[in-house]
Amino acid sequence: MAQDKAEDLALLTATVAGQPAGEPPKRADQFLAKRQRRVAYGILAPGGVYLLIAFIVPLIIVVYTSLQTGGLLSGGYTFTWAFDNYADAFSSSKIFIIRAVVYAGLATLIGILLAYPMAYWIAFYAGKWKSTLFFLILVPFFVSFVIRTVQWNFILADDGVLFGPLKTIGLLPDDFRVLASPVAVVAGLTYNFLPFTALPLYVALERIDKRLVEAAKDLYASRFEAFRKVVLPLSYPGLFAALVLSFVPATGDYVNSGVLGSNRTTMVGQVIQTKFLTEADYPEAAALSVILMLGMLVIALAYAKALGTEDAALAAGAA
Amino acid sequence: MTEDRRQPDPAFAGALARGMTQRRLSRRNLIRYGGATVGTLSFASILAACGGEPAGAPEPGEGPTVDFNAEPGTEINFANWPLYIDQAKDPDTGERINPSLQAFTDETGITVNYNDEIQANASFFGELLPQLQAGQDTGRDIIVITNGREFTALVANGWLTELDPSLRPNFDANAAAWAKDPDFDPGNRFSMAWQSGLTGVGWNTEKVSAPIAKMDDLMNPDIVGTNSVGMITGDMADLVMVNLGITPADSGPDEWREAADWLEMLKASGTLRKFYDQGYVDDFTAGNLAASMAWSGDILYYKIWEDQPFDFGVPEGGALLWIDNMLIPANSANPQGAYQLMDWVYKPEIAQMITEWVLYMSPVGAVQDLIAQHAADEQGELASDLQETADSEFLWPDDALLARTPFARNLTTDEEREEWDSIFIPVSET
Repeated sequence: MAQDKAEDLALLTATVAGQPAGEPPKRADQFLAKRQRRVAYGILAPGGVYLLIAFIVPLIIVVYTSLQTGGLLSGGYTFTWAFDNYADAFSSSKIFIIRAVVYAGLATLIGILLAYPMAYWIAFYAGKWKSTLFFLILVPFFVSFVIRTVQWNFILADDGVLFGPLKTIGLLPDDFRVLASPVAVVAGLTYNFLPFTALPLYVALERIDKRLVEAAKDLYASRFEAFRKVVLPLSYPGLFAALVLSFVPATGDYVNSGVLGSNRTTMVGQVIQTKFLTEADYPEAAALSVILMLGMLVIALAYAKALGTEDAALAAGAA
Repeated sequence: MTEDRRQPDPAFAGALARGMTQRRLSRRNLIRYGGATVGTLSFASILAACGGEPAGAPEPGEGPTVDFNAEPGTEINFANWPLYIDQAKDPDTGERINPSLQAFTDETGITVNYNDEIQANASFFGELLPQLQAGQDTGRDIIVITNGREFTALVANGWLTELDPSLRPNFDANAAAWAKDPDFDPGNRFSMAWQSGLTGVGWNTEKVSAPIAKMDDLMNPDIVGTNSVGMITGDMADLVMVNLGITPADSGPDEWREAADWLEMLKASGTLRKFYDQGYVDDFTAGNLAASMAWSGDILYYKIWEDQPFDFGVPEGGALLWIDNMLIPANSANPQGAYQLMDWVYKPEIAQMITEWVLYMSPVGAVQDLIAQHAADEQGELASDLQETADSEFLWPDDALLARTPFARNLTTDEEREEWDSIFIPVSET
């Protein structure tokens, strides 16, 4: 009997893992299909044109710029297939790229550890308060990114509202500080990208059919097993989206390290900014941007492969 | 009528006004990190970098010439930094006006569209770059740019309008000696000073054990503690050179490396907290910094008008003088009107209106006495603050001080820029 149940559970989890299989597309008559396609193109066109102008064209310009040589004071930059820019940019910025990946990775990991239980609880147990609670998570993010980061600077000040009193009562040593350290930068990144982690997780978890969990329990799965074999796999697409949406922008971020860090926390985004604004070395700045972008793409595809869901592949395409 | 407007509205000149009189430099950091600004700019700059034929760049580059005797247009577009001009409430309409500009309009009939849109030299330069490279009107008739890289690039590429030196009577009569014929623009061919200031050292009197007398004090933990010193990336190389006895204008790579070595020593000393692009003031006022490289106006504002325990000084070896310059971009729609206004602000009574608000170094020396007079006519705190303003040695530097405050090194070729960056950027990035 128990044996049967275990087999059924295996079957259920297999079905879950195979999801979303969906039904095969229905055969419609030719005319309708054509019409549908036209409608689809019509719907896609505005977004497509927007992406073309706002994303593809600038991307081409960035790549074009990355292959230029010259100087601002000697007649500007000209296109010369200067692939050296890539070698130069990479060799001089390796450490900043690695640091950015490490910081962003930590921030993403911490973000998921924080957001998953929150999203899970809201999706499964909050009942009619779901939307309200989730909205509350997002409320702080209605404030400008820059203002929020600068406020952290204020809250975390060495003798500020948080640490000042703790130092006065002797809980912290006088020279304790968080600002201008990697801790502050990773904390800032985690906080600033939390909604990008929480939102997709919540959407994925909320979508899960609660009866599947019940079914798993009926089949003698422990709560943990039900979570591991049913809920977790079904939330992969959300998990994947959360990874990509927070890791990728966090890697390129230059605000958090600029405001909360120091020269010991320089990230690649800041290096690109300095190359662009201070050095006016547009080609190398562009080359470094392209390198970073390709790196992110590789990482996103690797995730997609590892998690192996259709949604993940879609999301990778979108990223 | 003009006289009326010159007196700020009492409600506006009180505490409220002082709260709003934040120095323009102290705001830079906030805005610099504005994603939108930087995003647009990069896009624009990228476009610029590959669009249009760049002008040939002899030094200075050839720009279009302008007949300044022609009739001026009816409008001037003036781009400046935030909170960098006098403000008052119009007694009739209650709207905010700039009395100095209003007086100009009353006299000439030319409207001034004043736009405080410049948040950083580099990003503003990036915004103008596409039009400049394409030889188009930038939509601005006056821009205000600090002497430095962007200024040099504007001159070298012929992106500025050369001024006619015979048509600026107020400038000729009233400009302070330091504002005339600066080394970065001999004969003021392209530029006239708007306001100016010093880069020296500021400190929090409650957090240092002694006033900062020399740059080496910044690496002495007994004086400044640990993790409590700020440096300003853009100015630090020159300030350090000055204090190593090197005249920036005469310096070369060897001297630059000497300055970089000093900076590395500072890093190794454990006193350094951070290199700032602009935002040191936030950390300074939050109490995170005991001492920092600083711009005179920032610290003096908090000291004089906010009674904070801050002080500003010129270290033993000297400080840096910088000038924010009024410039007319090439192909401006109304260079004649712009030039009239640039000369207009050199009238002492107009310059006074501006300086009492912005509290930076006025390029019109006579303003010092006018402010002292104003202080004598006022009462209470306003009078004492005005008096302190009129007395500040850093707002009205004498010859002895000016002799110790040279301009930063002007990097005039790409090779120089590259060499300089290869020495100093690693210092602040690692």
